[in-house]
Amino acid sequence: MAAEPTREWSDEQLKSDDLPKKDVIKFIQDNAAHSFLSEHKLLGNIKNVAKTAKKEQLIVAYNQLFESKRFKGTDPVEEVTEQVKAAKIEDKPKEVKTEVVDEGPPKYSKSVLKKGDKTNFPKKGDTVSCWYTGSLEDGTVFDTNIPAAARKKKQAKPLSFKVGLGRVIRGWDEALLTMSKGETARLEIDPEWAYGRKGLPDSKIPPNAKLVFEVELVSVD
Amino acid sequence: MALEHLSDVVQRCQSLPADGYNSKDYDLFTVAGRTCIEEGNSAQVLSIVLDEKNQDIVRCMGWNLLPPLFQVLLKKEDRNRSQCLAIFNHLLQTCRPKELLIGLLEQLEQDDHTITIAESFRLLLSPLQTVLTSLGSRKASSLGMTLSSVLDQVAKLPVPNTKEQEEDDVFMLCRCCTDLKSFVRPFVEEARQNTLNSKVRSDLKAAGDQHTNEEELRTELLKFCMRTLSYPLLEAQLKDVDTLPVSPLREFAAEILSIFSAIGESLPKLVFQPIMKRKQVPGFLEEDVRYPKESLACLSHLVFVNHQAADTFPCVFSPVFILRANMEHVCFLLSRTEESRIHKGLELYEKSLVRVEDGCLPADLLEVGTFLEVPQNLLKVMTLCQDHDLRSRGLKVFQMSIDKYDTEAKYSLFQYMLNTVHHSGIEGYIIKNIKNQIDFALQPGNGNAWFKGVHLLPLVREVLSLPDGPETDLLLYLDRIMESLNLLRYLVIRDKVTENQTGIWTELSKIEDTFIKPLRVGVNMSRAHYKMELHNTQEAKKSGAKDDSLLSVTVGNEKLPNLNSASRAEAVHMALHVFDMMESVLVRIEELTEGKENL
Repeated sequence: MAAEPTREWSDEQLKSDDLPKKDVIKFIQDNAAHSFLSEHKLLGNIKNVAKTAKKEQLIVAYNQLFESKRFKGTDPVEEVTEQVKAAKIEDKPKEVKTEVVDEGPPKYSKSVLKKGDKTNFPKKGDTVSCWYTGSLEDGTVFDTNIPAAARKKKQAKPLSFKVGLGRVIRGWDEALLTMSKGETARLEIDPEWAYGRKGLPDSKIPPNAKLVFEVELVSVD
Repeated sequence: MALEHLSDVVQRCQSLPADGYNSKDYDLFTVAGRTCIEEGNSAQVLSIVLDEKNQDIVRCMGWNLLPPLFQVLLKKEDRNRSQCLAIFNHLLQTCRPKELLIGLLEQLEQDDHTITIAESFRLLLSPLQTVLTSLGSRKASSLGMTLSSVLDQVAKLPVPNTKEQEEDDVFMLCRCCTDLKSFVRPFVEEARQNTLNSKVRSDLKAAGDQHTNEEELRTELLKFCMRTLSYPLLEAQLKDVDTLPVSPLREFAAEILSIFSAIGESLPKLVFQPIMKRKQVPGFLEEDVRYPKESLACLSHLVFVNHQAADTFPCVFSPVFILRANMEHVCFLLSRTEESRIHKGLELYEKSLVRVEDGCLPADLLEVGTFLEVPQNLLKVMTLCQDHDLRSRGLKVFQMSIDKYDTEAKYSLFQYMLNTVHHSGIEGYIIKNIKNQIDFALQPGNGNAWFKGVHLLPLVREVLSLPDGPETDLLLYLDRIMESLNLLRYLVIRDKVTENQTGIWTELSKIEDTFIKPLRVGVNMSRAHYKMELHNTQEAKKSGAKDDSLLSVTVGNEKLPNLNSASRAEAVHMALHVFDMMESVLVRIEELTEGKENL
């Protein structure tokens, strides 16, 4: 193991304004063990650490480093076990994936704009028809099947599809099952249940976009 | 002479009622009239035709004059052209539409000459439109007949490929398409109105006859759209706006797509058609005829690759569902041998895959026929296609498709491919993919049930085998064998004996028997054989013996020259080099495993 580092600065020097925070952070990062840095929240880009850490904290950390002697290379075992732990933890959910997964709360929210009849709820596999307008969070409409001129609505057809079978994005599939005939709702769908990391570049939906839909459930067959 | 005959027959007929003309009158009128026009006496014919007293005669027999008139009209500089045009127009107004239609279509179909097809086509469309419009609500079948003849003509024109060809439009296909757009427009408009009204009417009882006529009109337009999709649109490589700001073909495609909505066919339904439950639609055509696979594939390509109808196709369908539907189209396109089809198939597959996130397609998709058929088709593209770009694009798309599957599905796909593909290069490529997946699984945090542990071994066993034992043709299977050796070497280096995450260490003695030993025997035998060959070649060279090989190869009736002794020696040297390479990896593996198996 390399020789222990020696103190570069006295307490007075540390407190003095002549010594910039960056120098202290650099010293500690260069010499302290990984676990020490993470406990003192000193990991990461020096510039960022300098923004978040106060000088007093740095002095405390500096002194503690020499008291505890937790220099770089003192905790290899610990690091490895930590890595293994991390690996194990990540392992588990993937193994379970083939079973039924608890995915946590739904990744969309719904607010009812107009109540439906509360009796005709679609079941999986039912054909539903709806009018809708989809927009991004900034209000840009990326898709709608409602014609601009109201009188033309007669010419257009509502969108029909079998619900609950994965034919549409997850947010729609789940939300429509909770709606009843005649209901109009506003759906805010997280990217995970919409077009995810990829987005739909061809249709102006950027990556990781939250989508807002106003959906009217016209009929359930 | 002819003029007198014409006057005679017209005078005689003036005194008869309209239904009183006999066939002799018809013949005389036709022969004399045609001759007059051909001889340049169109001025006199015009005055006869315009004469108030002769209108009954013109109504019944006038259409027989169409052929010579049309010949004159085609010649732009003919001095009688204006008179002939006047006669032509008068006939269009006066004669009975049914006969006019037959006369005009005859003219249209007659033209078989690539240079003039488009000329007559463009000249006839507008008169045809006039005639059809005058048929009123019972026009559907006549329209269908006309559209069919029209497209028969279009099919004789070559589709421009490049941007320049589309601009030059030498064979005028683009101009024909543009004319065709305006030709169908009034009929589409009528159908659109019908669709609208029928919605209003649907509560009431639809009037039977009218309903049938409207339905028939829609069906004819649908047939038309489907046919244009398979030609010329499937053949055409549409250019985007940046490449070609004004593209008649692109506009034609857009128009066709808009017709679908006018006749009440929704684009998503058409795209998803092949995977929807078959429901017999009552109507004039059976499902497969109504929606030909080829046309639907082209439609899907227009929507997803060319982004036609981008503003009308809903953005709410899940990428996996779209992929599943498009797989049918891709499968169809890739099963063809025409390069234009294959190209479109690859483009559509790529576009459908791009939407899907990596590692998310589940294994049960592989139970859907097309998901196994498409890789088979891709394989043919990658190995048999003449065009280098298509081959490499095929490989790129193939890799992309592998990346989209989750680990279980990847595993099944690799297993399936290894069992069905008989192409050393592709097998090698799959084995390389297997190695990459194992490497990924062995990294901390990436562990999965398929590429390490119990599941992995059966797959590895399939890889580490020789198709024909020690007698395997090592040169033929070179790619596969080298990748297998690489995989084995990788496993014994990467996986520690003490960890044995892949199970390779407990399997090693078996692998020794089924793979390493037979391969070693094979290498030794092959090397001995080729050394002998080398020796013989050199001997032959020394003694200057004539080529006396018993074997000759002919390709397309041409005999290929036998290898001369120098290139034969070179080939043998290369073979020997390959065996050395295999041997060196074998030796390295043995060094790495020596003594460790029994730990």
